[in-house]
Parts: sequence; structure tokens; C-alpha cells
Amino acid sequence: MRQSASLRLRLILGAAAWIAVALLAGGIVLMELFQNHVERQLRTEVANHLEQLLAGLEAAPDGSVDVIRPLSDPRFHKPYSGLYWQVDAPDQAGLLRSRSLWDFVLSLPADELNFTEWHWHPVVGPSGQSLLAMERSVDLPAAGRLRVSAAIDVADMEAVTTSFGRILALSFAALGCGLLAAAAAPVVLALRPLRRMRRALAHIRSGSASRLEGDFPLEIQPLIDDLNALLAHDAAMIERARVQAGNLAHGLKTPLAILANEASALERRGSGDEAEVIRQEVARMQAQVDYQLAQARAAAARQLPGARCKLVACVDGVRRALVRLHAERNLIIEMTIPEDAYFRGQREDCEEIFGNLLDNACKWAGSRVAVTGRVKGEQLSVTIDDDGPGLSADQRVAVFERGRRLDEAVPGSGLGLSIVRDLVEIYRGEIHLIESPLGGLRVELLLPAARSGAAGVLDHKA
Amino acid sequence: MRILVVEDEKRLAAQLVDMLKMAGYAVDTVADGEEGWFLGDTEPYDAVILDLGLPQMDGITILRKWRAAGRGTPVLVLTARGSWHDKVTGLDAGADDYLAKPFQPEELLARLRALVRRSAGQASPEIACGGVVLDTNAAKVTVNGQAVALTSHEFRVLAYLMHHKGRVVPRSELTEHVYAQDFDRDSNTIEVFIGRLRRKLGIDIIRTVRGLGYKVDEPE
Repeated sequence: MRQSASLRLRLILGAAAWIAVALLAGGIVLMELFQNHVERQLRTEVANHLEQLLAGLEAAPDGSVDVIRPLSDPRFHKPYSGLYWQVDAPDQAGLLRSRSLWDFVLSLPADELNFTEWHWHPVVGPSGQSLLAMERSVDLPAAGRLRVSAAIDVADMEAVTTSFGRILALSFAALGCGLLAAAAAPVVLALRPLRRMRRALAHIRSGSASRLEGDFPLEIQPLIDDLNALLAHDAAMIERARVQAGNLAHGLKTPLAILANEASALERRGSGDEAEVIRQEVARMQAQVDYQLAQARAAAARQLPGARCKLVACVDGVRRALVRLHAERNLIIEMTIPEDAYFRGQREDCEEIFGNLLDNACKWAGSRVAVTGRVKGEQLSVTIDDDGPGLSADQRVAVFERGRRLDEAVPGSGLGLSIVRDLVEIYRGEIHLIESPLGGLRVELLLPAARSGAAGVLDHKA
Repeated sequence: MRILVVEDEKRLAAQLVDMLKMAGYAVDTVADGEEGWFLGDTEPYDAVILDLGLPQMDGITILRKWRAAGRGTPVLVLTARGSWHDKVTGLDAGADDYLAKPFQPEELLARLRALVRRSAGQASPEIACGGVVLDTNAAKVTVNGQAVALTSHEFRVLAYLMHHKGRVVPRSELTEHVYAQDFDRDSNTIEVFIGRLRRKLGIDIIRTVRGLGYKVDEPE
């Protein structure tokens, strides 16, 4: 999951970064534009007031200046209103002032103006506020050069700008989140098939499926098909390995059989000692061959995830075989296994385990063998009971040693039980021998269970 | 009793033939699957020892074809394929017994005897009739406890009739189960054997049923 998450995370973080940068740049530009606009509005207003002032300014023949037409905006008359005008004579600043200035004089910085120029200055207002002042020079006859200015408080402008900035920030934040969500959604959707694929693979590992099932988008489907082909190929290879192992067996066992027969012939002709040597060595070779084949089979079993077989079918096959093999004995073999019990492994291995165990049970049983199985979570719990003589505690330990036969009178390779032990170990199961309520031996088996689900290409064709 | 051995490994086949002849059987051997199938399908055998890994036709296929055609001859599979999976497959295909190589010759003979006996309907290894006891395990005949020496052909005739105790066995059937395929058969020799048997046994358990054949039954 880590790889997939970091890919998603990377894509989403990348989108977030781009969105943030874009929105930030856009926000800055918008703020700038707004501020400029607001300031321009303000200046236009001040210019209008100044125009009005200039139009109402008149000089008397004695050189005194007065505003004969008062300015219309009521703010000029309200003290400290935030809108002011002032006329400066060359020798007297604040010659004429608006009522709003009261007794305060705006101090304009030194400046040289041509007649038609407008200049802007930041000045300090009566209550210490920042003002934006616009001035113009006029030459009036008898009065001389006058500096005429109007000033307005910039606080409002700043308030408006700040308020705009806040709204802008909030809405861009919302926009950013929306964009991020819109960017993230396709990423998540695109990666979801990958998560589905992982879940399908998990099904294969757990044994409830043997191929990747489901609908996948066009881009992923080829990968799914390739994976399924690989799984089928693996199954075919395992099969081939088994066939080869079978050929090996054929190659070695027939010569061994011939040697064993020669040993018998030798014995009949009187060379009993030589015969015994040959027979023993043949038995050792046979045991090795059996052991190696069992190992190869089990090793192959481990490679193949998703193989499973129906337990009741497998055990029933073994039971049918045993009924014939022990036909003389008239044994009763009882079987209680649920239909939904599946062994997570190859059918051949399941048959080998139960074949050996049930054959043993049949060899020793008086008249009855019972097999019960049930599903315990992730495991199959199977119990095999016989009503034979059973084994003592010491014997139960000894029986798993390779090639050890407890009773020479009962025919059969002692290797069978150690094959079972090895297979059970490889499948990470457990096997225990205890006393049976039927009077003989009880074998308790724990084997991995496969979930009963849709059949797949690796299921044994039952 | 007549046995068919289908085995492609020549030396092993020869050993089997020796073993079986010494135990009193008439034996036919064949080394390829198709011939084996054909013989088993057309000739009457008391049992077949069948290898699985055969050229021309696999043993399992032969077995399935025989069973599909209704041939109920007991078959003992003798093969290197000894896994339980193979055993289940073989027995499901119609085998009556399954023995893996290498094997103990005594075990093979014991199982073969049991097969032949069971298919003839004889539950016990000892078949008795009017004081004559045939011990199939030891391949010996006793009359009221006394051992009787028989030639291999005489033994086969008696064994076959006793396995089918109570049933009339046509002479042709008797001929087919007493001689191997390549043996030069003369229809009169059966009568000769019957005559000799009657003399050696002393008890009249072999009846001639005119026009039909011979029967072993309790003396009247």
C-alpha cells in the first residue's frame, strides 16, 4: 500500500502546490488591481473637489482671496470629517481653510508647480490620520501665487481594501479546496483499480481464487491478463515437474523391482545371505526414491498459491481405494466431512496425507475406521480413529522416525508416516497422535483451509 | 488358472512369469499396451497383472476400456507410480488391487490369489469339497488330510473347477483357463487330466455333465 499511497500523495501534493501558487499569484494581482482602482476613485473625487474649489476662488482687488462659492460636500463643514481643503499664500500657509480643518494647518511639502500641473502628496491630518492631498498652483492678480489643495482621509480606502482582501482570501481558499478536490478525485479514481487488483491478488494468496477476477479498465486489463497467464503457466510447470518426477520414479523403481526379485531367486537357490544384502539395499534405495519424490512434490506444492481441493472428494477417493485394497477385511470406513471444507494445497498432497494415514488405520483396525473433519477458521481439523490395538505413548513418538516399522508382521513401508509428517510440516499444519475413543489410535490433523469461493483454473477437476 | 501379464520391461516380465508358473498358474505375457488390451478383451483370464507405463496404450486407458466393455476380469495394477493419487486414479479406473514397485514377490502372489478367489466367489483361502481341501495360499491339495501330488496341469484343472465349485464348467472354458496362449492344445488332454485327477483323489467330486462340461460338487 505504501507505493500506491505515495503516488497518490505525490500527485495530490503536486496539484495542491500548483493550485496554491496559481491562486496566490491571482490573489496578488487582483489585490493590486483593486487597490489601484480604489485609489483612482479616491483621486478622482479629490480632483473634483479641487476643481470645485478652484472655480469658487476669487481674489479681491486688494489682494485678499476668498471662496465665494462654498463647496457642496457637507464633509468640508464638519470638523475633522476627513475631507479638507486649504489655500496657501506664498507667505502664509493655511490662508484659507475648510471648516473641517478647524484650526489645523496642512503642511504641504515644498514643491515647485507649473500652472497646469497637479501634484499629490501624503500629508498628516488634524487628528494624525494619513491624508492624500492634491494641490495646484494658481496665479491670481494681486494675490500672487497660491497653492490650492484638497485632502482626503485614506483610512476608508484602506478599510475597503482590507475588507476586499479578506473576502478575496476566503473565496480563493474555498476555490483552492474545490480545485484540489477536483484534482484529487481523478487520481483516486484512477488508482482504485490498483487497489482492486491487490485485493484480487490477496484472494489468490489465501486460496479462494486462482485467477484475478473482475472488471478492470482498459489500461490495466492487459496486466491482469498477463498475470492470469503467468499463474496458469506456473500451474502447467508444476504439472510438468510432477510428470517428470513420475518418470524418474518409473525409471528407478522397475530396476529396483527386478533386483528385489533376483534377491528372492537367489534366496531360493540357497544364497540367502547375499539375497538379504540385496534386499536391504534395495529397500534403502526405494526409501530414498520415495523420500525425494515426496520432497519434490511438497516443494512444488509450496510454489503454487491458490491451489485447493475439496476435502470430502479427496478423502472419499482414498476411501474407495482402501475399500478395494482391504477388500478381504470387510472394514467399515465412516466419513463425516462438510461440503464446504477445502484444503489449501494440491490434491495430490491431500491424497498422499490421507492415503497414508487411512491405510495405516485400516491395517491396524479391527473393523472400524472413522474420519471426521470440520473447518476451524483458517484451518481444517481432521480426526482419524481406528478400533485397533493403538499405540503406547513411546510408540507414538517413535512412529514418525523415518523408515521405522513398529510391527514387521503388517506389510507396508514405514516411510508412509514420515512422508505424512513432512507434508504436514511443509503445509505448516500439525499432527498429533493420541488414544482413540474407539480403542485404537487417534490421529489429529490441522491443515490450512482454503475459502470456499468461485472455482478457478487451479482447482482440481473433481 | 490363467494369468495375463502386461509388462514392457522384459526382465521383470520374465521374473513374473517364473514366479507365477512356480505357483501353478498358466501365464501369457505381452509387452505393449494395445496388444495387452486386445488379449484381455478377447481371451478369458482369471486375473491380469497390469503395468501402467506401457507403450502404445497406457495402462489406465486399457483398464477403462475393459471396464467400459463390461470385462470384469480381476486386475492387479503393478506399477512404479506409487503415490496415493495414482492409487486412487488406478482403483477408480477399475483396478481391483494396486501394488507399487518394487514389491515383495510373496505379497504379489498372495494378493493375486486373493483376487482370483474373490472373483470366483470363494471367500476363504481354503476351498473344500467332500474331504478334498485346496489350500490356495500354499497351492497344495490334501485328501482327508493326506497331501496329494499333482502335476501343474492337473493342479490347474482341479483348482479351476474347485474355484467354481457347484457350477458346470464347459470343457472349452476349462481349456482356456488351463493353458497359456501359445500352448499346443489338444481337446482330449482335458479328459486325460480329469481321469488322472479322479484316480489320484480317490473321492468322486468331479462330475461329468454330458454335453455340458464338468462340475466339482459334494459326493452323492
